[in-house]
Amino acid sequence: MWRRVARGLRPLWRRGRMEHEMEAELRFHLEREAEENIRRGMSPEAARAAARRSFGGVDQVKEECRDARGGGLVETLGQDLRFGFRVLRHNPGFALLATLTLALGIGANTAIFSVIYGVLVRPLPYHEGERLVVLKQRTPLAGVEELPFSVKEIEDYRGRNRTLEGVVEYHTMTFLLLGRAEPERVRVGVVSANFFDLLGVPPALGRTFRAGEDGHGAEPVLILSHRYWRESHGGDPGIVGRTFRMNDRAHTVVGVLPAIPQYPQENDVYMPVSACPTRSAAGFIGDRRARMMTVFGRLKPGVPVTQAQADLATIAGALRQEYPDAYPARHGYGATAAPLREELTRQARPTFLILLGTAGLVLLIACANVANLMLARLMRREREMALRAALGASRGRLIRQLLTESTLLALAGGGLGLLIAAGGLDLLVAFAARFTTRAGEIRIDALILLFTLAISVFTGLGFGLMPAFSFERDLLAALKEGGSRATAGAGRRRLRDALIVAQVAVSFMLLTGAGLMIRSLLKLQQVDPGFNPEKVLTIGLNPNWSKYRTREQYRDFYRRLLERVERQPEVLSAAVGSTYPLNPEGISFGPWNRNYVIEGRPLADGEPAPQADFRTVSPGYFGTIRLPLIRGRAFTEQDHEDAPEVALINQALARHRWGEEDPIGKRVSFNRGETWITVVGVVGDVKQYGLNREVTDEFYRPMAQFPSGNNLLARTTADPSSLARTVRRLVHEVDPETAVTDVHTLEEARRDSLASPRLMTLLLGLFAGLALLITAAGIAGVIALTVSQRTHEIGIRMALGATRASVLGLVMRQGLALAVAGLGLGLLGALALARLMAHLLFDVEPTDPLTLLAVTALLLVVATIACLVPAQRVTGIDPLRALRAE
Amino acid sequence: MGKGKADLLQGTLDMLILKTLALEAMHGWGISQRIQQVSGGVLSINQGSLYPALYRLEAQGWIAAEWGASENNRQAKYYRLTRAGRRQLEEETRNWERLAAAIGQVMEAS
Repeated sequence: MWRRVARGLRPLWRRGRMEHEMEAELRFHLEREAEENIRRGMSPEAARAAARRSFGGVDQVKEECRDARGGGLVETLGQDLRFGFRVLRHNPGFALLATLTLALGIGANTAIFSVIYGVLVRPLPYHEGERLVVLKQRTPLAGVEELPFSVKEIEDYRGRNRTLEGVVEYHTMTFLLLGRAEPERVRVGVVSANFFDLLGVPPALGRTFRAGEDGHGAEPVLILSHRYWRESHGGDPGIVGRTFRMNDRAHTVVGVLPAIPQYPQENDVYMPVSACPTRSAAGFIGDRRARMMTVFGRLKPGVPVTQAQADLATIAGALRQEYPDAYPARHGYGATAAPLREELTRQARPTFLILLGTAGLVLLIACANVANLMLARLMRREREMALRAALGASRGRLIRQLLTESTLLALAGGGLGLLIAAGGLDLLVAFAARFTTRAGEIRIDALILLFTLAISVFTGLGFGLMPAFSFERDLLAALKEGGSRATAGAGRRRLRDALIVAQVAVSFMLLTGAGLMIRSLLKLQQVDPGFNPEKVLTIGLNPNWSKYRTREQYRDFYRRLLERVERQPEVLSAAVGSTYPLNPEGISFGPWNRNYVIEGRPLADGEPAPQADFRTVSPGYFGTIRLPLIRGRAFTEQDHEDAPEVALINQALARHRWGEEDPIGKRVSFNRGETWITVVGVVGDVKQYGLNREVTDEFYRPMAQFPSGNNLLARTTADPSSLARTVRRLVHEVDPETAVTDVHTLEEARRDSLASPRLMTLLLGLFAGLALLITAAGIAGVIALTVSQRTHEIGIRMALGATRASVLGLVMRQGLALAVAGLGLGLLGALALARLMAHLLFDVEPTDPLTLLAVTALLLVVATIACLVPAQRVTGIDPLRALRAE
Repeated sequence: MGKGKADLLQGTLDMLILKTLALEAMHGWGISQRIQQVSGGVLSINQGSLYPALYRLEAQGWIAAEWGASENNRQAKYYRLTRAGRRQLEEETRNWERLAAAIGQVMEAS
């Protein structure tokens, strides 16, 4: 076995010697034969000639010997490689164009694939992550698809299920962490004690939580995330054992998590459920409807997720029977489970699959283009090929040579593509992070390199095989004709034409996709958000809530703060609100759907209570963001804590619930009639959760009557960000224990809310532009070749009296006919595929005629230019010289 | 090919080479001469196919080559049968005998 391998490889390093030996051996044979002939009485010259004659073609024999020898493949590969390099070096233009084209195609695919692999395919970095599930409950009849869990519900599902190894809960809070130089707002994951054990995450330092540490009265303990430990505590190795104050209690650090992405969100620190003041309140624990938590489970070994789903549905059925109050039939309560991995990437999947498809199409176009380039070059090399065939190169050998060249090109393209992918990856990671927490796992690793290598080799073989198989049929014809006029075989012409048609068609589809995205983005940018975001500063306030136990204390805090801010000369007005429009955090949490009842309209049995979003604002809010008052009055300082409770509603709510009726003076209740709140005015609709979202029904309550706001807004005369430092100082003057976070402007929030569609448009536009460029180059290449091939024919035509314009038209017609055929096919393809994009579009039909028309026009113009540039050479043909050149 | 000469049956060249080398190590030209002589001039080797056959047999490990002095005192490449080649020859001989006998029977029967 080894000897065989050794013999196979020997040619690699002993090639020169073996060639030399073969030479010597055959020479010996010929000399011996000649001697023999002389012995028979021939003259030396005749003897040598006869020996040669009887031997046959020496080179042919040599070639056959090389083939016969084991390792011939390796050796000829070496030859092919050397030859291929030489050919490419002598055609730098062709090599550069082909390599660049392929690099762009392969780079795009590598980048998108690395995102798809990191986000959608790679197993979760947990022990047996595929067994992790998310528990979900929903009340579809009330329109709630994802209902958080209450403590009671968690206890029920934990105790009653038979398919899960463990059930753990999770929710996230922001608390103020004291004990460092400045108060710091930290994002806290509040979890069951066995949360990390169930996920299978070992600590990097110290330990994870112990059983019982989430029990009532347990000492508060903390685990730090790896990132927070590294960034905020400098990776202090002695961190375990330190204490920090949160919620007026001392919390001891017991461990640090490893450097893996956290699910479902990135948090700074983790605490057991018993340490969270909200979660551990007796009233909260006892209320089956106090729902706040996310719940995870681990499937028992061998249990399929479908079985767990059935199990949970059964438990939900039992709960419906036992607690009809908590699960009214009219809400249609149910529970199920979903694999954690799918759940984490559900939002990202469609977007990235579209991108992968797009990148794949770009690569196809690139391949078609390089195949066309190779075909064109092959025509010029026909004589070389024919000559080599005549000298004894077998058909297989010639095809191998061509494939070697194409693979060389593809590998060079792949290498360059990898650089392009690595360069563009950061952009894609930032993009992916908008859809999934798994974005942090995207990187270029060995598997991605393998993918790049694989698609490089495949594309190399792909665009190499096409021309390789087309040429051998014409080989003999080429030899017979001789000269450079070797005309293209009809089969090959058709192949080239088909490639161009396909390129135009695919470009059409890509351009349509990009065009639709652009139209959609333009429409989004024109959406009236309902407020004026210019020159408004927004700042997150994070007071130490344990210091503000009563409403009065907090009211006092924000009044003093607002007073100081409004005294600044550049501030026109200021306000405090529970959130503000297009607040990124607000968008990620979604609307607060609170049930309410309208006075005098009792709910019929089975009728779900109306729901509306709810926010609290100080009186200056409407003026600060320029949210217009439509009717009635806005809040004033007189709507204080002792005054009658009042509310404002938005136009959407007024329209939905009162129609033509005047809502002013009507009363609503959020506590089933215990207290009533009077509607005193109607304000304009605001795009609160995204410019592409429908406006939700909204209530506004005065801050004085419902103090809960922690966002400060200030409209300024100058650049709002210049005010940030002043405001930060004012906040700390009023309360040094309040952390200031998320300093933005409303304009930034508005821009940020469009970041995903903008990036998607950019990516699709980039791909489509690339496709267009490659296709234009392809068309130009075909026409240029036609012109050079038909020089003779055109010369005759012109000699016979054809005008320059008519021969120009002749050439142009050929190119444009291909373009039009491609447009037709592309239109069909675009119409078929457009539906896939529907969910990405805003206010634009996937079959938008304007877009299709614009794309058609654009492609026609580009195709015309691509034809015209090389076709112009026709007019430079001198009939006499063209004829003589033959 | 002239009168009185026969084309080689497909696949028999390898066998003839092996058989020739079973007697003694020999260079390529010698092999072609020997086959021609032994067959009384009936079998003539197409020299163009001799060398590819030799390289093939060498690659299969049935024959081995080394350089040595030729009968006229020049360097020539001598081929000799390896042990694997001897086994191969035995097998091909048996096959050939069966085939020849079978063809003989058919021809006699008619």
